[in-house]
Amino acid sequence: MAGCNCGAEKTVIITACSGAAKTGQLADQVARKLRAESMGSMSCLAALGAELSGYVESARSADRNIVLDGCPVACGAQIYARLGLRHEEYLLTNYGVEKGKTEITDELVAGIAERVKTDIEMKRG
Amino acid sequence: MKLQILGTGCPKCRALETNTKAAVSELGLEAEIEKVTDIESIMAMGVMMTPALAIDGIVRSVGRVLTKDQVISYLGGGE
Repeated sequence: MAGCNCGAEKTVIITACSGAAKTGQLADQVARKLRAESMGSMSCLAALGAELSGYVESARSADRNIVLDGCPVACGAQIYARLGLRHEEYLLTNYGVEKGKTEITDELVAGIAERVKTDIEMKRG
Repeated sequence: MKLQILGTGCPKCRALETNTKAAVSELGLEAEIEKVTDIESIMAMGVMMTPALAIDGIVRSVGRVLTKDQVISYLGGGE
């Protein structure tokens, strides 16, 4: 959601790799849960990959870019790096998830979202 | 040349509009300046914070009130 930048509110943008594997599905669902919990605004990684100017400049101006990558291929972080955008990557296989093996359940999404949320808040310093 | 000021009408959006008009005037450019205030249209351009400035359909700045000189720099192809 676009917002007026008149206030002093910090801008946090969340993107997920949303890849084809189950870990990509998990990244997407965790990102949506973080958005629902007002951790930030969700943006489209595909739009960044396509270098659509509005998305790129929004990310460039954000105070924090939270990137959820499902697996170590790290498509999300690589897109940000290629564009020279500051970002924080949260790699979901570091949260006990195995690519191609772990079934994605509501309970798993909620649990991982909570842990990622804690890590994001800790980094806020 | 088409310049678009994206914002819902807050003081910062109006300041960007003023500075953009001043930059265009100083450079003596013939440019169409459009104010985009509809939030759906702003979001359709991928802009998540306002004010923003687009030049010929390319978003160049988001969430900042560019000074006149900064706008001049953008219009000249700079950063």
